[in-house]
Amino acid sequence: MNDHQFILIIFLAAFIIITAVFFLTYRSSLRPEEKSDGIKKPLQKRFYFLIALTIVLVILLSVTIPKSPYFKYSDQTPAKVVFVDAMQYYFFMSEQAIDPAKPSGADSIIIPVGQPVEFRVTSLDVNHGFGIYNSDAQLVTQTQAMPGYVNRLRWKFDTPGTYHILCLEYCGANHPNMRTSFIVK
Amino acid sequence: MSAQSLKKTTATWIIVIMTLFITAIIFGILMRLNQGNDYKMSSPGFYATMTTHGLTMIAIWSVAGMVAINYLLTRYIKVPNSLSVFALVFTVIGAAMLWYATFVGQFHAGWTFLYPLPLVKIAWAKWATPLFFFSLVVLGVGWLVWSVGLLVQILKKYSLKQAFAWQHLSKKEPEVKTPPLILISTVSLIGIILSLIVAVILLALTFAEYYSGGAFVNDSLLMKNLIYFFGHTIANESLYLGLAALYELMPEVSSRPKFKTTWYVALAWNCTMVFILTAFFHHLYMDFVQPLGLQMVGQLASYFASLPAAGVTAFSVFVLVFRNHIKWSLTNVLFFIGIMGWLIGGVGALIDATISNNVALHNTLWVPAHFHTYNAMGNVLFCLAFFYWVANEFSGSQTKTKAQQLKTALLLIGGFGFVLMFYLAGADSVPRRFSNYPAEFKSAPLMATLGAVFATIYLIAILLIFIEILRKCVKAFSAS
Ligand code: HEM
Ligand SMILES: [Cu+2]
Repeated sequence: MNDHQFILIIFLAAFIIITAVFFLTYRSSLRPEEKSDGIKKPLQKRFYFLIALTIVLVILLSVTIPKSPYFKYSDQTPAKVVFVDAMQYYFFMSEQAIDPAKPSGADSIIIPVGQPVEFRVTSLDVNHGFGIYNSDAQLVTQTQAMPGYVNRLRWKFDTPGTYHILCLEYCGANHPNMRTSFIVK
Repeated sequence: MSAQSLKKTTATWIIVIMTLFITAIIFGILMRLNQGNDYKMSSPGFYATMTTHGLTMIAIWSVAGMVAINYLLTRYIKVPNSLSVFALVFTVIGAAMLWYATFVGQFHAGWTFLYPLPLVKIAWAKWATPLFFFSLVVLGVGWLVWSVGLLVQILKKYSLKQAFAWQHLSKKEPEVKTPPLILISTVSLIGIILSLIVAVILLALTFAEYYSGGAFVNDSLLMKNLIYFFGHTIANESLYLGLAALYELMPEVSSRPKFKTTWYVALAWNCTMVFILTAFFHHLYMDFVQPLGLQMVGQLASYFASLPAAGVTAFSVFVLVFRNHIKWSLTNVLFFIGIMGWLIGGVGALIDATISNNVALHNTLWVPAHFHTYNAMGNVLFCLAFFYWVANEFSGSQTKTKAQQLKTALLLIGGFGFVLMFYLAGADSVPRRFSNYPAEFKSAPLMATLGAVFATIYLIAILLIFIEILRKCVKAFSAS
C-alpha cells in the first residue's frame, strides 16, 4: 500500500465513523419527551474525550514530524545535483548552474537509481511547482519554485523508469501543459 | 434603529448572497464539466471563471456570517443599521468590479492572486489588474468598517476582558456573564480585522510595485506569507461567525437550555484565536526556504486548533442532541449536518496539515476537497440555518418545512458526493487548478463529470431551500 492509498483509507474510515456517530446521535433524539435522559456527567466525559484526543495528536505529531521532507537524506552527500529553473511554461534542467539571463537546459537528465540526489529549484518569473510523478502518475515528491529563492529537494529513486515533472502551482492559463521529464537508471 | 429596517436589510442581504451563491455554483459545475471534457471553455476563460468563483464564494460566506451575528447581536447590544447597509453597498459594488475585471478584462490570477502572477507577463487586459485590486479595496473597506463598527459596539457594553470572557476563567458565577455569541463574535471579529489589516499591507506593497514602474520589487516569500495569512484567516474566521450563530440559535430552536459560557468554553475560544492566526504557515510547507521553526509552528497550530473545535463545540452539540427529545426543523437539521461536514472537512485538513503528508497532497485536488467540505457542507449550512430561521421570524411563524426530508437527502447526497470526487482524485495525485487533465490521469475526467452531477443535486437542494426562504421574506414584507 502506498502513501496515497493509506491516506485515503484513514480519511474514509474517519468519514464513516463520524457519519455513523451523527446518524446514531440523530436516531437517539427521536425518542419521546418523557424518555429523554440525555448524557450523564457530560463535563467528565468531555474531559476524558479531550485527554484522549490530546494524546492521539501528540503521538501523531511525534511520529510524523521526523518524516518531514526537510530532513530527508540531509546527512548524506548527494550523488548528483540537478539545477532547475522554472519559467512560464517550461522547466530548464541542467547539471550545471543555469544563467538566469540566458537560461538553457540539458536535452535529457539521467538520475542514478538508489542514490540520493538534490534538485535546486527556482523560478525566473512567477511561482511554479516542481512535482515529480512516477510512470504510474503517482506524485512521488515535490517542492515549490519561487522567484528569488532556491528550494533544495533531496530524494532517492529506487525504481528505474521515466519520471514526469508537472507544474504544481498555478502560474497562468497554460499551467496544465507545463511539464518535462527525466530518466532514472 | 427600527427593527423593521434591520429586517429589510437582512432580507436584502439574503437575496443578494443567495443569488450570487447560485450563480457561483453554476460556475463551479461548468468548471467540473470542462475538466470532465463534457463542455468546452477556453483556458483563460476557465481560469477567469475559477478566480471569480473562488473570490465570490469567499466573499459571500464571510459576509453571510456577518449578517447573522449583526442580527443576533441586537439581542445584547445596540447595532446601528447603517453599518450593514454600508457594507452591503460596498460588497455589491466590489463584486461588480471584480466580475468586470475577470469576465470582461479576463483577469485570471486565481483567488489567491499569488504574487507576482498578477503583475508580470500579464496575459489579460492591462486595466484589469488595477481594477481587480481596487475591487478588493472596495470589498475590504466595506467589511473593515462593518467589523470594526461591530467590535466597537460590543466594547461599549463589555470591557475587552469581559468580551474575551476572562472573568469566566477564574470564577464559576461571575457578576457579568459573557454570552457565547459575544465571546465568539469578539474573537472572530478581531481575527477578521487582523486579516484585513494584513490585506491592506499586501495591497499597498502590490500597488507600490505596480506603480513604481520596476523601481520597487517585492520579496516573493514575504508576499506569500502575507497572502496566506490573509486568505487562511479570513476563510476560517468566517466559519467561526457561522458557529457563533449556531451557539445562539441551535439550543433555542431545539427547545433545550441555552449554551452558557463556562471556563472551558472561554478557554477554548481564546486558544482558537491564537492557533488560527499561526496555522496559515501550513500553506508554505513546500517552500523549503521558509524558516524551519515556522514550518513546525504550522503543524502544531493546525493540530491543536482542532482541540477546542472538536472538544468544545462539536461535543456540546453532541450533548445537546444525544438521548434528548429534539423537535427537528430545517434550522437545527442544517446546524447538525453543518457540524458533521465541518468535522469531516477538518479531518481532511488535518491530514493535509501534516508535513509528511503534504508532500503527497499539496496542490492536488485534496485541497479543494477538504475546503469545499467545511464550506459547502459546513459554513454554508450554518448560514442557511440562520437564513431559514430569520425568514421564519419575519413571517412570524416557525412553520413546518415542506418536504424537509427530501431537501435534506438531496443536500447530503449531492454535497458529500461532490466533495468525495475531489478526495478520490486528490488521493490519486490529480493536481488542482488544471482546466483539463493530461492523459495519464485516466479516471480524473470521469470523477469530474460525476462531481458535476452530484453538485447539480446539491444545487437543486439549495434552490428548493432558497425558494422557501424567499417566499417567507416576500410574504412578510408585502404584508407590512
Ligand atoms: C456545489 C457547489 C460548488 C461547486 C460545484 C464548486 C466547484 C469548484 C471547482 C470545480 C473548483 C476548481 C477546482 C480545481 O480544479 O482546483 C473550485 C474552486 C474553489 N471553490 Fe468551489 N465549488 C462549490 C462551492 C464552493 C463554496 C461553497 C465555496 C465557499 C467558500 C467555494 C470556494 C472555492 C474556492 C476558494 C476555490 C479555489 C479557487 C482558486 O483556486 O482560485 N466553492 N470550486
Ligand atoms: Cu504552473
